[in-house]
Amino acid sequence: MIIEFSDQVPRVTLFKRFPVPRNFKVTPESRIETGRTWSAPAGAMRTKAFEIYRYDPDSGGNPRLDTFHVDLDDCGPMVLDALFWIKNKVDSTLTFRRSCREGVCGSCAMNMDGTNWLACTRFISEMAAPATIYPLANMRIIKDLVPDLTHVFAQYAAIEPWLRSKTPEPERERLQSPKERSQLDGYYECILCFCCTSGCPSHWWNGDRFLGPAVLLQAWRWLTDSRDDATEERLDALEDPFRLYRCHTILNCTRTCPKGLNPGKAIAEIKKAIVERES
Amino acid sequence: MERGPFRSPLARAIGLGSAKKGAQHWFAERLTAVALVPLSLWFVASIIAHAGTDYAAFVGWLRTPLATSFMILLLIALFHHSALGLQVVIEDYVHSDAKFAAVIAVRLGCYGFAVAGIVATLRIAFGG
Amino acid sequence: MDRKPTNLDSTPTQPRPLSPNIQIYRPQLTSVLSIANRISGLVLSLGALGLVVWLNAAAAGPQTYRVVQSAIGSWAGRVVLFGCTFAFFLHLCSGIRHLIWDTVHGFELRSIYISGWAVVGVSVALTVGAWVTSLFIAGWR
Repeated sequence: MIIEFSDQVPRVTLFKRFPVPRNFKVTPESRIETGRTWSAPAGAMRTKAFEIYRYDPDSGGNPRLDTFHVDLDDCGPMVLDALFWIKNKVDSTLTFRRSCREGVCGSCAMNMDGTNWLACTRFISEMAAPATIYPLANMRIIKDLVPDLTHVFAQYAAIEPWLRSKTPEPERERLQSPKERSQLDGYYECILCFCCTSGCPSHWWNGDRFLGPAVLLQAWRWLTDSRDDATEERLDALEDPFRLYRCHTILNCTRTCPKGLNPGKAIAEIKKAIVERES
Repeated sequence: MERGPFRSPLARAIGLGSAKKGAQHWFAERLTAVALVPLSLWFVASIIAHAGTDYAAFVGWLRTPLATSFMILLLIALFHHSALGLQVVIEDYVHSDAKFAAVIAVRLGCYGFAVAGIVATLRIAFGG
Repeated sequence: MDRKPTNLDSTPTQPRPLSPNIQIYRPQLTSVLSIANRISGLVLSLGALGLVVWLNAAAAGPQTYRVVQSAIGSWAGRVVLFGCTFAFFLHLCSGIRHLIWDTVHGFELRSIYISGWAVVGVSVALTVGAWVTSLFIAGWR
């Protein structure tokens, strides 16, 4: 009932989805159709069913939901291990991003059982039966579980995520006290996996103009960096009814961050800084 | 402004640039909210306390200077908060050309109804 | 970005599909309370209209007032009024939670969940309490 850390999977599920039809308000090319069911491995003692979103851009068809049966005794403990097992043993066309397999690169971010997380740090034992795997929500899909992150990275570039200095370069380092350095804690650790942004309903409805929690968290990271001199310009760029103020503190972002960061709090700090300079 | 498919992703993300305002709308919503907490509680408590009374008792209560002032303040804060909130809701969900028309209609409607309520309150308070 | 690039064998470009969002995303306390706050706000906007109608009925005289009061007193009117009361207390408690967030307090996940369940519990309790009290007072009259 009370979630203390974002890696907690709720034990009770009242509603798996909002009460809307399966293909509610989707454009014709995004309609998900029933896919094929791949046969269970012969002689497997413990299997688990995985329903995985598939899309093949070369076939010209619609996305579909395929069902795979994974032999749990032959497979590692994480959902990413299950994806590799399927790719190696059943269907080699299953496509997904991956790199570090330890939760630090952000490549394998996807929607598992309705919430966004990293596949390499989500235990198979915590998944429902059958486990459902979709790509990150509300993203253009290149293939299978690979989303097109061009727009969200462009929004990140738009906030100018680098040190902007107006003072001459010092001889050695730009000095920063331990207290000033601690103001970056909880913000610099973002791995830009975009779990938060793709879980934000405001970004779903207004993602073309609303920057989203990941980008706004990084905007705060640069605002609160004591070495940065462009605070005024940064706040000017953010103070916009859509770029910042589409955030209605829904807090799906904080709930879903696989690194335990708090984008909702960062956004509240930005709003507070903007109001503080008006009074 | 023609925004074709060959715009760079960065230009698409920047769009028309920052409006450099929005804090006033946000603050006004919070200001009216803070005002509404005691005013609306006073209103609900008064309604409950006068449950089952007749017209004369109701008019007698609303005629008191405290009740008249609070009711007017409540109507102002309520409809301003409502106008700001509904504008945000429309901006969230309406993306066609109808958006501006809807925002204008809703805002004017809210202020019109606020005046109607205030006039009614004054008629009860100062009427014979 | 939204379209896949033209193939050399000149098959027409098609837009890339959009992955499902509200169709598959899990309802959580965070998003459910937020949409409840919005829905209760919309209900209260209609209630504000009703308030103005009620005030104008009272200003028009005792006969018009009695008509409106009997409409409110009907069982359909009472259901609507109950819904409005619950919407009011939910929006009030949720609004106070938002005001606390605006001071940048209570953003830890534990606090978010505790305050969230508190909003649900307190608004239900206040709604029931308000109705019981008003029925008691009206009955006592």
